Amino acid sequence: MDPQLVDILQRYLFNVANLQGMLRLATPVVLAGLCALISSRAGILNIAGEGFILFGAWFAVAGSYFLHSAAAGVLAAILSGLVVGGIFALFSLKFRAHIIIMGIAINIFANAATIFLTRAVFKQAGAFSDPSIQGLDPIHLPIIRNIPVVGDVLSGYSVIVYLTWILIVATTIFLYRTPWGLHLRAVGENPQAAETLGINVQRIRFAAVMASGFFASLAGVYLSLGHLKMYTDQMAAGRGFIGMAVNTFGRGEPIGVFLASLLFGLVDTIGWRLQGERIMPVYFVSMLPYVATLLALTVFTLRQQQARKQAAAANTKEE
Amino acid sequence: MSNASRALQRQLGSALRRSLSIVLSIAASMVVGSLIMLWYKQNPLEIYGLLLKGAVGTQRSVFISLQRATPLIFTAIASTIALRAGVFNIGTEGQFFIGAIMGTYVGYAFKLPMVIHLPLALLVGFLSGAAWAFVPAIMRQKLKVSEIITTIMTNYIATFLISYLTNYPMRASPVTDQTPPVEPTARLAQFVELNKNLGRATQAHVGIFVALAIVVLVYFVFKRTRLGYEWRMVGTSSSFSEFGGIKLDRAFISAMLVSGGIAGLGGAVEILGVWRTYKNLFASGFGFRGLLAALLGGQTVIGSTVAALFYGSMEAGALGVDWAAGVPRQLIDILVGLVIFFMAAEGMWAFVQRIKWVRAPGTERRTTKDLEV
Repeated sequence: MDPQLVDILQRYLFNVANLQGMLRLATPVVLAGLCALISSRAGILNIAGEGFILFGAWFAVAGSYFLHSAAAGVLAAILSGLVVGGIFALFSLKFRAHIIIMGIAINIFANAATIFLTRAVFKQAGAFSDPSIQGLDPIHLPIIRNIPVVGDVLSGYSVIVYLTWILIVATTIFLYRTPWGLHLRAVGENPQAAETLGINVQRIRFAAVMASGFFASLAGVYLSLGHLKMYTDQMAAGRGFIGMAVNTFGRGEPIGVFLASLLFGLVDTIGWRLQGERIMPVYFVSMLPYVATLLALTVFTLRQQQARKQAAAANTKEE
Repeated sequence: MSNASRALQRQLGSALRRSLSIVLSIAASMVVGSLIMLWYKQNPLEIYGLLLKGAVGTQRSVFISLQRATPLIFTAIASTIALRAGVFNIGTEGQFFIGAIMGTYVGYAFKLPMVIHLPLALLVGFLSGAAWAFVPAIMRQKLKVSEIITTIMTNYIATFLISYLTNYPMRASPVTDQTPPVEPTARLAQFVELNKNLGRATQAHVGIFVALAIVVLVYFVFKRTRLGYEWRMVGTSSSFSEFGGIKLDRAFISAMLVSGGIAGLGGAVEILGVWRTYKNLFASGFGFRGLLAALLGGQTVIGSTVAALFYGSMEAGALGVDWAAGVPRQLIDILVGLVIFFMAAEGMWAFVQRIKWVRAPGTERRTTKDLEV
């Protein structure tokens, strides 16, 4: 192999720091992707993930600051996710408000409310950090940590990272191996048929939106307590929408969401490196997830259309 | 009773019901706002007084209100056109900023007489906004891909593209990511530049008249032209209008492009009137706020305009409250978010419908079908 190429691959792709960066950057995206996934599989286009993440990030810091424990921060964030998700579900499902309008209202509301709260509660504008905020300590996996390279890549992240990996598996099992998962998919694919079968469509959707609030709030926790132990205004920075992108890109499958997020995490780390070495502006790299989603949507639907045409052609031939 | 008078009664009834739900929603969100202020250890009456004073209390505050409302009128009208044609153009946000950056480019890159330069910059703003709406429009009509997802994507692509442009090719200052200033020949005059007693210490500018001209134009298009008729028809029932001989593709795509164009024009106007240079990330949320204004205004041209003026003046009022009492100005976005919450929740107003004279006959009930992706 060309030594120059090997050098480039090592520098930009396959080194421990890059792989660690990829897994770190992918974590909030995976969680946002699961937020989008669980509601889209229930047949709901939930664009409020961005707002849920913001609340999650804020309440994680607030809980940790006032109760002097990272666990309390995580619990406060999850609670906020469930409450805001519950309000969103209540208005859009029970009170029949338009779900997109509700989503936009939640996002604007969350953006304003978290900025307001930072000023009102912490007396700070823009960002809040304090030594008494307890962060999530890195976990060093026993045995694995001692394996060279693998140990460096897999060990030493905060609990949210490992929880995210577990949630990917758990969501897959839930969707395909449990009756509730079956009901959820039925509601998403054909609500009328599901209703005739005696499935309570409203209740399933309500639960799905609450679950999406849970996932998104964890993404918020990771953003504010996972690394820097601080809250910054608008720190969700579009991850709620990237979550929708990876869900589309991963075709609504948990493992697909995970792989798509890893890809975006990797691209992100490479982007920062290229920027650092003044090779390429980071903005084009940051743009990639969104451009890729547009392309993926185009390719998927074109393929579907073609398959449908072929099926129709085959049918007419048989007759 | 004749059909005509019955139709009139129905219209009046639904308008009445709508106004009532707006008034009740605003009242409800003001109550919640009062609770927030009490928690903030402020007297709600005083704060609402300051809000009103900051919005319309002095000549200066009126001009600040106008300045804040101008971009919102554009995005509200853009959203209204899309909504009436049955499209959810969440991309007004990106289209607005693409129009702004392209308008800026034309504004500083060329040296032309004003009669050509200014209209050219505005036109380019319109066209680039429309171009930014093109891909989502085509993807929706040809591939049946939800325009909601695609316009969210194009919003972010716009953000990063503009960050690149202001940081690299268009950057003029070594300190900040900012473009060169727009030539005087491409500027929309600020009132204070026309007469120094008019709107002193504000950046209100004649772009408000461009906004109002667009309002009149779009109102006319909806009422009097075939295109406007087609937009309204496809928005009401696409299968029925196809049966009636309307070309769906043409109607949807043109609505989306015009919507994007008006948002882009709004962006150009904001730069040429207020900022006169493009500073990266100088603001955000024009598109989303405009969409909320369109929803507040019942998705009608006049209603959205009034709502945008209202929203703009409330923003100005919130600035006043922030300066005078230190209550964060985000309070107004919280309140408007709450108004939308209360208004959109039809089910919560079921009790209102029990009152006979506000009940609109034949109001549609939503089913689970509407929620589908």
